[in-house]
Amino acid sequence: MLEAPRETSVSSRAPKLGVVIGSGSIKCASAIGLLRVLERERIPVDLLVGCSAGGIYASALALGWDLDALERKSCETWEGLFARLDYRSVLQGLLPGLFRSRGPVGLLDERRLKAALESLYGETAFADARVPLYIVATDLNTGDSVILSEGRLQDAVRASIAIPVLLRPVAINGRLLFDGGASDPLPVSVAIREGCDIILAMGFENPLHERVGSLMSLVSQTTCITINNLLKSTYSFYSAAHHAEIVPIIPTFDRHIGLRDSSLHPYIIERGEEAAAKQLPFLRRLLDPGVRLAGPPDPSDGN
Amino acid sequence: MSGGAGDSRQRSGPRVAVVLGSGSVKCAAALGLLKVLQREGIGIDMIVGCSGGSLYAALIALGHDAGTAEAMTRRLWTKELTKRRNNRSILSVFLPRVFGFDESFGMVNDALILDRLKEAFGASTFEEARIPLYLTATDFHTGDQVVFGSGRIVDAIRASIAIPYIFRPWPIDGRLLVDGFMSDPMPVGVAIRQGANIIVTMGFESPYQHKINSPLRFAFQLSSITSNNLLKSNFAFHNLAHHAEILPIIPEFKDSIHLFDTDKIPYVIEEGERAAERQVPYLRRLLSGV
Repeated sequence: MLEAPRETSVSSRAPKLGVVIGSGSIKCASAIGLLRVLERERIPVDLLVGCSAGGIYASALALGWDLDALERKSCETWEGLFARLDYRSVLQGLLPGLFRSRGPVGLLDERRLKAALESLYGETAFADARVPLYIVATDLNTGDSVILSEGRLQDAVRASIAIPVLLRPVAINGRLLFDGGASDPLPVSVAIREGCDIILAMGFENPLHERVGSLMSLVSQTTCITINNLLKSTYSFYSAAHHAEIVPIIPTFDRHIGLRDSSLHPYIIERGEEAAAKQLPFLRRLLDPGVRLAGPPDPSDGN
Repeated sequence: MSGGAGDSRQRSGPRVAVVLGSGSVKCAAALGLLKVLQREGIGIDMIVGCSGGSLYAALIALGHDAGTAEAMTRRLWTKELTKRRNNRSILSVFLPRVFGFDESFGMVNDALILDRLKEAFGASTFEEARIPLYLTATDFHTGDQVVFGSGRIVDAIRASIAIPYIFRPWPIDGRLLVDGFMSDPMPVGVAIRQGANIIVTMGFESPYQHKINSPLRFAFQLSSITSNNLLKSNFAFHNLAHHAEILPIIPEFKDSIHLFDTDKIPYVIEEGERAAERQVPYLRRLLSGV
């Protein structure tokens, strides 16, 4: 008979692999290293999730960009972004009364960022992605995490990377959105919800200051302390709570990496590649069709 | 004060912990919970407090009844606490070099709150508490939770309530400490580690700003967003990951309660009592070992 079986049984289907790139500003470039390993090993990815700057790299893979070109673009983007502060914004931040502050400050030059995102994405939309892509931001008014999966990529990425103080929040569909890191810095939850069996989760802790010498670094320290605790907390919860296999890929760095360190790209990428290579044997084992995956929870077991 | 929650150091049976999370004035609802536990004759084996909750945790652990504790906190916590601004700190934002912006930044002069805490707690130590007491703060440099279970109670409370931007961080034993909510707004984990079997926990989300029209309001909003997400995530994890029974007591308030709405304390206590009463049947079932 030519008729194919109507339904493949759960145990014989290929496991669904999700890649999650968490927030970590310029350190997210480590994802290029992870993507290189996946490309070299010919491991197909079924779903991508990005948070904050992680969204840039998640979208690159979803759009099928060449990784060398991505490295070049990534380096240029970071270099251009943090070279210049928007001084009017700085003054607004310090003297809101005098400069008619319109709420949240954004110290970076908005036009440069807009140009950078325009050159990266143009009118490309989520619908153009070859692999389902989700980008996470945070609702400034409710604090909830917001999962973006429609519309122009440049808008979603702009919302997701709106690092507090540096970039202003942006409105999408009537909600004011900013950095996804404030609600879910490593959004493994999205990959779980979308039914992934294996989740590669690349996450980064925020570096804390050894000394705090300005109001800006105080705000950053205060925010980063809670976000780091949130990262650990959500990660422990997701690991404990469900049946997908989560493979953590945590690059380690032996030096401080600041927002302006775009020249460290090769080093950052290498660390990502190393961290990914370390988990490769485990990942291979999980992908082996002989290994029985836990799969989605059985509705009959009452949980 | 006899026959109350304080007489339970060597009880047998399940170990009951009360965890009081951050929530400024709303934390007074803990006194409503205390009334219910005392009325029902349910003993407390340990108390954990964080931020605003640390005040009430300490008062209860030292053996004050709800009425005395209420009177003490209303004397302690008044609008005058934030009246005296720390002008040097505020100027240091604009002229960081001249006025030396540093880690001791806090917009409010904290001399008064320290005096008030000393008035209320004197030189009491954790060792003197009738019920084992743990208070949490956050290490400003590592972000880790720091748990106090010995030493002077005043210092631990002062560290635990070091609200960012408002009160300056507090040094203890060479560590600079800030508000406990930044590492865990409702430290159920401490009670778990101390071996509690039943954890009665009260916690509150930080209120959001109605209008984010200044950088400071933005900073507060940011702090509420991150800590509320942390509260939910930690609570979900603790509920799932271990074997103690966790009973959340979540009072509901009709109007919003702000940082210095101390005149609303009687109402807050009433709502705490109501929320605690709703959980009594379940708590009874747990205590009887069902």
